[in-house]
Amino acid sequence: MLRGGVGLSLGLATVRERWTAFAGSFAALFLGAILVSATSTALLSAGPRLPDRLAGAQVLVTVPAVERPEGNFSPDRPWSPEQVVALQDRLAAIPGVERAVPDRSLYAQPVVDGVPVEDHRGHAWSSAALAPYRLVSGTEPRQAGQVALDRSLGRKPGTRVTVLTARGPAEYTVSGTVDGPGVYLSDGEAARLAGGVRLIGLLLAPGTDVAAVDSAARTAIGHDGRVFSGRARVAAEPLEDARIRWVGMQALTAMSILAASSAVFVTASAFAFGVAWRRQEFGLLRAVGATPRQVRASVYGEALAVGVVASAAGTALGAVLAPVLGDLLVALGFQPSGFTVRVRAWSLAGCFLVGIAVALLGAWSASRRAGRVSPLEALREAAADERPIPLSRKIAGGLLCVLGLAGAAVTATAGGNELVSFGLFTAAALICGLALLAPLIAPPVVRLATWPLGRLRGATGMIVRESALASVRRTASTAAPVLITVGFAVLVTGMTATTAASFDAARASVIRAESVVLPDGVAGLSDAAAGVGGAWSTLPTALYRVNGEAVPALGAERDHLLAAGLKPSQGSLEDFGGNNIVVKPWVAQQGWGLGQVVPVGFEDGCTVSLKVAAVVDDLPNSVLVPRDLVRAHDPSALAEEAFILGKAPDAVPGGLGTRIVAAEDYARVMSDEDDRLTWIFTVLLVAVSAGYTGVAIATTLMTAAAGRARDLVVLRLSGATAGQALRTVAVESVLVVVLGTLLGLAVAIPTLLGMRAGLAEQLSAPVPLVLPVPLILVVIGFCLLLAAGAAVFTARRAVRSQTDRSGD
Amino acid sequence: MCSGESGTWLEGMESKQSVELWSVRRTYRAAAREMRALDGVTTGFEAGTFTAVMGPSGSGKSTLLHCAAGLDRPTEGKVVIDGTDLGTLDETGLTLLRRERVGFVFQAFNLVSALTAEQNVFLPLRLAGKPVAPEEIRTALAEVGLADRGGHRPSRLSGGEQQRVAIARALITRPAVLFADEPTGALDTKTSRHVLRLLRDLVDRRRQTVIMVTHDPVAASYADRVLFLADGRIVDELVGRAGAEEVSARMTSLEARAC
Ligand SMILES: Nc1ncnc2c1ncn2[C@@H]1O[C@H](COP(=O)(O)OP(=O)(O)OP(=O)(O)O)[C@@H](O)[C@H]1O
Ligand SMILES: [Mg+2]
Repeated sequence: MLRGGVGLSLGLATVRERWTAFAGSFAALFLGAILVSATSTALLSAGPRLPDRLAGAQVLVTVPAVERPEGNFSPDRPWSPEQVVALQDRLAAIPGVERAVPDRSLYAQPVVDGVPVEDHRGHAWSSAALAPYRLVSGTEPRQAGQVALDRSLGRKPGTRVTVLTARGPAEYTVSGTVDGPGVYLSDGEAARLAGGVRLIGLLLAPGTDVAAVDSAARTAIGHDGRVFSGRARVAAEPLEDARIRWVGMQALTAMSILAASSAVFVTASAFAFGVAWRRQEFGLLRAVGATPRQVRASVYGEALAVGVVASAAGTALGAVLAPVLGDLLVALGFQPSGFTVRVRAWSLAGCFLVGIAVALLGAWSASRRAGRVSPLEALREAAADERPIPLSRKIAGGLLCVLGLAGAAVTATAGGNELVSFGLFTAAALICGLALLAPLIAPPVVRLATWPLGRLRGATGMIVRESALASVRRTASTAAPVLITVGFAVLVTGMTATTAASFDAARASVIRAESVVLPDGVAGLSDAAAGVGGAWSTLPTALYRVNGEAVPALGAERDHLLAAGLKPSQGSLEDFGGNNIVVKPWVAQQGWGLGQVVPVGFEDGCTVSLKVAAVVDDLPNSVLVPRDLVRAHDPSALAEEAFILGKAPDAVPGGLGTRIVAAEDYARVMSDEDDRLTWIFTVLLVAVSAGYTGVAIATTLMTAAAGRARDLVVLRLSGATAGQALRTVAVESVLVVVLGTLLGLAVAIPTLLGMRAGLAEQLSAPVPLVLPVPLILVVIGFCLLLAAGAAVFTARRAVRSQTDRSGD
Repeated sequence: MCSGESGTWLEGMESKQSVELWSVRRTYRAAAREMRALDGVTTGFEAGTFTAVMGPSGSGKSTLLHCAAGLDRPTEGKVVIDGTDLGTLDETGLTLLRRERVGFVFQAFNLVSALTAEQNVFLPLRLAGKPVAPEEIRTALAEVGLADRGGHRPSRLSGGEQQRVAIARALITRPAVLFADEPTGALDTKTSRHVLRLLRDLVDRRRQTVIMVTHDPVAASYADRVLFLADGRIVDELVGRAGAEEVSARMTSLEARAC
């Protein structure tokens, strides 16, 4: 114990003795480890899941998939009805296959006690065998008008039940109840109401060799589909679940990266302050014979000691919190329901090591600085910092700022996904640039902000002003975490709010209706609901090119198109109807030009020849198809909203699951619903990052205040009351927050202006710059409170101990 | 001006020199003006002797000590410790030399506050990766009269006790030279006598070389030789143990000349 390892043991001794000095790095690492371990545990648990309702089919056959870019979840083209029959026959002929069951799903939402139930997935009765779900009571639905329900709905066989379908409400007789979720119709009725088939499940005889069936099925279907068995069946995960999971992955990855990188930043700043504060001590070590290497090792030793404890504690707590995070993700819609978190030992071990690595990484630059301390610094007074700002720093800072502004300019002309990337790039460059230039920018800002203080009679103003100016570097580096907190909060919330506002702007410009019919507690508007009070609506659906690629389309009516005043650039809207469609220019350019007749696949798998009648620039969707054609081929399609041009009806017929809102409220209502998730996520992101940089603010201010203990004692000895001394400290920290806030705004505003210009150009409509002021004020208030609190808390000790000593 | 006097030791080179300074110059750049803290000092410190360095404030005493001890590098000139030219060493080499051949006691802030007195004393050995015998530490602390305080941290020791711990630490590596910059500056008369006797004792018993900066003529009277510095040059020298009054008289005349 007495030999060797000086770095570590000296580090340990220092940590034991000065734990307060390490509280900041500890807190940062601890929080970071919690976040990283909770998010990564959730991330690793977030694999695709085989839906329960398909679990009983040991081999699944699905339609062929087209190549899709990342994040695109457009559906695959279903088989044609003839293909389904042929495939079913071929698959059922494989030895060991008892039945080949096509999975037919449709919209069917039972209304129980006047309220539509949440689960709205209807299926053909035969697909219940894929789970398998079994009858609990009554009989299976054998003919149209019969339905088997989940027993948890509490309906007895023989009773009547209203079921909302895509056409409208329909009366059914409950034939039986099953031990699983869903609404089951007779196979005949389901075949009529469902869209196309994309999946056939194979039910095998007991003891059948699954691998043999798998390969036989591959031979049987050739290029007409894909075959999955065993674990690979998760590929049959519903598209919507895959999309939610994808969004969740993005969120979790962003959160993990944010957590790890802010941990590095916060730890680095905590250690840097620790080193600056203890220069004298490092000088002494150097004087008594520590080599620069040994001094560096002692800083790493401290980091290791703090890192091991904080990382272990944080990782453990993160593992405990991971399931809570999992539930939260499901509740927020970032993971499909049924998502459960599994804690894995190896991932926790990984997080623990990451935590230690973060600590060592954070200590890297601090240790280099400590190693450069000269032995003579043991003898000097704690130096007021007069080191000039190196030219290299000025140049680098200036370049980054110029780069950031250029980024803002480019953002203004960028579009689509690039908009966000450029925005983030701009912000990153401005943050780094301003952080580097802060010591240059600080003096004029401080002078300006404290000008009124200097005029005051009291001493506080003068002291604050002069000490902030004297240690420009200290002022600048304490302002840095505030810069990041405020800058990030304004940027992220402003981005979200401005983007949302731009969608509102786009949406509002489309509507010329007086009121709007919206779904209320149901998955969408049925034909009956969409026709309330003479409303008109569009039916979203998908069309498929010959190569299987999906094209989003809307079913619309000619009269409404004409009334909307859309101006075709080619052709005429008069010809819309029958098998004639209208397309956007980009679709026209891809082989669906004016006058062309193209074979198009529909949601039911049928192929119809459609003729392009007109090309319109500002179409609400890529392709418009006559509504009745969509209804004929996509029996489960639901409208998202319907518009009433005239006066809204006084009474809405009940049981349709609708509500009517005035047009002026529509944009707001819609954006409320659309943006709720995004907004929650944004606030979460801001809260996490602010919580984090908050640690940095507290640490830097505590350390700065501790470093000034001697000044405070002198102040007290020269006649300042304890209150005056503390007020000085508080005002000084407020000044730091003001400086950081101004710099933060200087980062966020140009970035946001660039984004706004980009959005406006994209939408060719003016987009307002929206700043969620209350939230930003909360963040600034939080910084103020934290900064002043931490500084005063630390200074109080210095002031107190002085009082104690003069007392005796 | 007085280089003739300071050159007297050069003739009798047969006795071993612990530290030699050859035309050492140390300048600082302050506000575009060059400030000569040391202006060509040549002198030597014989092994087993106790030298006091005196002079008005700002005359370059501390600078001389730092350069002689290898804490600071001279702008010009050469420093030799125990036969090694410091100019030939890099930062690590210099550190190793300091660790092995040189001990220091500063006026204040001598101890690492996170470590106990004992740990502070064996710190140089730990840094050198040498084994530490517990009885060695105890003896070292006992020598400075602090045998029972080894487990205390600096915050629980008085200024004089801290100073003595620093002396114990400085001696633990058996250095060739011990440097002390106003070691008694902050101590009361009784405690400073104690520290001075301790230093004198080391010279007499262990033939330790000691170089001490002081403002106190009484402290200087414990030394075998007194060097007087003014404006970065050696201006006077008293050889052989001198009384405090004699030192005091020299200082007064020095200060009078400076005016
Ligand atoms: N880091 C420095 N930068 C600039 N000038 C310095 C520095 N250190 C010392 N000086 C100057 O060099 C001269 C000699 O300083 P030094 O500390 O050696 O004096 P001293 O004799 O020890 O004085 P005192 O008795 O007051 O301690 C002084 O004029 C001082 O102002
Ligand atoms: Mg001095």
